[in-house]
Amino acid sequence: MKYLLGLALLASSVASAANLSIYPYDGAKFVPGQRFDLRIEAENVQELKDAAVTLDGRPVEGLVRTTSKPTSAEWTLRSQSLPTGLHELKVRYTDANGEVTKTARWYVVPAVAPRAKNVILFIGDGLGWNTVNAARLVAHPYNPANGNATGQLAMMSGLSGMATVTTSSYDSAMADSANTASSIATGQKIQVNALNVYPDNTADSLDNPRVETITALVKRSMGKSVGIVSSAFGVDATPAAFASYTRRRGDYQAIADQYFKGDVQPDVLLIGGSRDFIPSTAPGSRRKDATDWITDSQKQGYTFVSSRTELNAAGGNKLFGLFNIDNIPSYLDRAQYQTPEALGDFKDMPYLWDSTKKAVETLEKNPNGFFLMVEAGMVDKYEHPLDWQRAIWDVLELDKAVEWAKTYAKSHPDTLVLVTADHAHSLSVYGTYDAAKGPGKREAVGVYEAAGFPTYGDKRDANGLPLPETSRTYAVGFAAVPDYCETYLGRRVFLDPTVSNGQTGAAAGFLPNPKLCQEGAVTRTGNLPPSANQGVHTADPLPLFAFGPGSENFFGMMDQTDLFFSMARALGLDATRTR
Amino acid sequence: MNRRTFVRLLGAVPVLLWAPGAGARSGVPLLKFSELYGRVTVRGAEYSDKLKGLQGQKVQMSGYMAPPLKPRLDFFVLTKQPMSTCPFCTTAADWPADIVLVIMPRGRELEPTTRGLQITGRLDIGVKKDEDTGFVSLVRLYADGVTTSG
Repeated sequence: MKYLLGLALLASSVASAANLSIYPYDGAKFVPGQRFDLRIEAENVQELKDAAVTLDGRPVEGLVRTTSKPTSAEWTLRSQSLPTGLHELKVRYTDANGEVTKTARWYVVPAVAPRAKNVILFIGDGLGWNTVNAARLVAHPYNPANGNATGQLAMMSGLSGMATVTTSSYDSAMADSANTASSIATGQKIQVNALNVYPDNTADSLDNPRVETITALVKRSMGKSVGIVSSAFGVDATPAAFASYTRRRGDYQAIADQYFKGDVQPDVLLIGGSRDFIPSTAPGSRRKDATDWITDSQKQGYTFVSSRTELNAAGGNKLFGLFNIDNIPSYLDRAQYQTPEALGDFKDMPYLWDSTKKAVETLEKNPNGFFLMVEAGMVDKYEHPLDWQRAIWDVLELDKAVEWAKTYAKSHPDTLVLVTADHAHSLSVYGTYDAAKGPGKREAVGVYEAAGFPTYGDKRDANGLPLPETSRTYAVGFAAVPDYCETYLGRRVFLDPTVSNGQTGAAAGFLPNPKLCQEGAVTRTGNLPPSANQGVHTADPLPLFAFGPGSENFFGMMDQTDLFFSMARALGLDATRTR
Repeated sequence: MNRRTFVRLLGAVPVLLWAPGAGARSGVPLLKFSELYGRVTVRGAEYSDKLKGLQGQKVQMSGYMAPPLKPRLDFFVLTKQPMSTCPFCTTAADWPADIVLVIMPRGRELEPTTRGLQITGRLDIGVKKDEDTGFVSLVRLYADGVTTSG
């Protein structure tokens, strides 16, 4: 017996010398008919002899064999799909080292009867539980007479479903926006920096094995319209995850092209970041070719708009809006500060609620229904550089868009509204701050009952949102930080928390931004590596708020990949049918 | 690859300041970062009238050196504010819109610095791609003097 075990171990170690990978990975789940690319990669192969691939016991036909390097063999079969049930793919090959086998098991969930015709999915980028809570505390101050809340955010009141969502990547416990948004879009675990593809062993980031997104699925199999709205630049990870496929989220030009040539081709696309859609000859373009999607999109039947006024006046069934050459500035910059530094010549940009409303009004013309993803992209963009005020006020802007969607869903009871996030940041509200004693005085931070209640809401802007400047603010900080100067207060003109230390090689790192330190600040020693210039994403859980039909599919603790399957259940998605 | 690893080699080139004549000379027009572009729309940026009027002339600008691309700083990017990121170190870098490429004369190089810089040099505008790096610039200064300004 000992002898046999020894042999088995030997065989196993020989097998591990060769490295066999199968995508979709073992344990992957799909909806019926969801398309995926099958990819098998054998590395460290010596003198490959024979190979066999079977699915549920039958040989797989049509595999294309390649050899990307002398010691590898790959087999690819694109655009496959499976019916409901458990499936097993077995790979066996023999080379000079002996036989190697590997099995991947996949489960295709059963289709159910539809409950919802439309889905409006809001994604707050970086909207962890604590970030939502901070926005609630700012928007709805406590009654100082009795400590009761004076209200709730629209996203957290009148719920018909709620869940806490956990995140992880295929290759990391920590998440980035690309793989987390892709998990929501496809139901798969995805690598960091990848959009809706599995890994592969080639350098080309656009040839990786793909898995079909919910937006492509509802379009192909149910004939629904698709809309994508984001306040970030439009080829950024979250909007890109609903219409493109690449191993590298920085493939901006290819992502821009996939919006108009890919398998989704959203009917409504309202975004920032025009620089990826204008020809390279236009100063400010990030493209490397002469493609002009502003002109070409109109040939494809899109109405093009570039301001809030044009957006609100637009008709048509297909809408393409670019509202800034880069990100659409934060709510505070657009609605309150309005500095030339932040706005430049872009003085008429839509609010997220404008874009949400127009997107729905455009998409609802399709009698088959629609799927709309709305991203509040600037929440994350300002959590990274520790500017919690700009981040939180963008949550308040998102909340007004959610409020509009909830009202719409009340008069359209076939619409499911979801609010969730892609990942969290390490933001926490830990005290109050007496602005009269600041800026930057640690003694001005109050804790427990000595702190008193903050006074947000004593002054409000034209949209009814509180101004950040008030006598007693919240003290808000981040757990994961570089060395930086904390002033506790916001500022009208954004400043990065750190600057380069001017060193190179191993000594390269970042220093607190001296301009912030000069404002009067507490210097905080960071806990991230010296190479970090800003805050990072966390593994903290996320909220999910659900309203309307199909909400019952969202409850308790959910993995992010479950969101895809719960949306599919709500819609009764069965992609074995094609319209 | 992190290009900053190369830059360490620059310790062998102890030239930070290089100012033939007095550096910032009187009579040389000052150009501010805020004066580079007239309008920026979703269709791209438009050069300002002042910038177009100064094309080919010697001008003076103040700014900061962005974390460098090459081990030998025969060119660098001048920015309005000190930058915390190394845009060259990531793919598809997110540059601010208003940056100026500074090209040193042949044989002249600089060490990286975080101090403010004053540059005098000949202004050149228009889309130009550096064939070695693929870097696309819109505004360039062919420097003939660099001094620290603070």
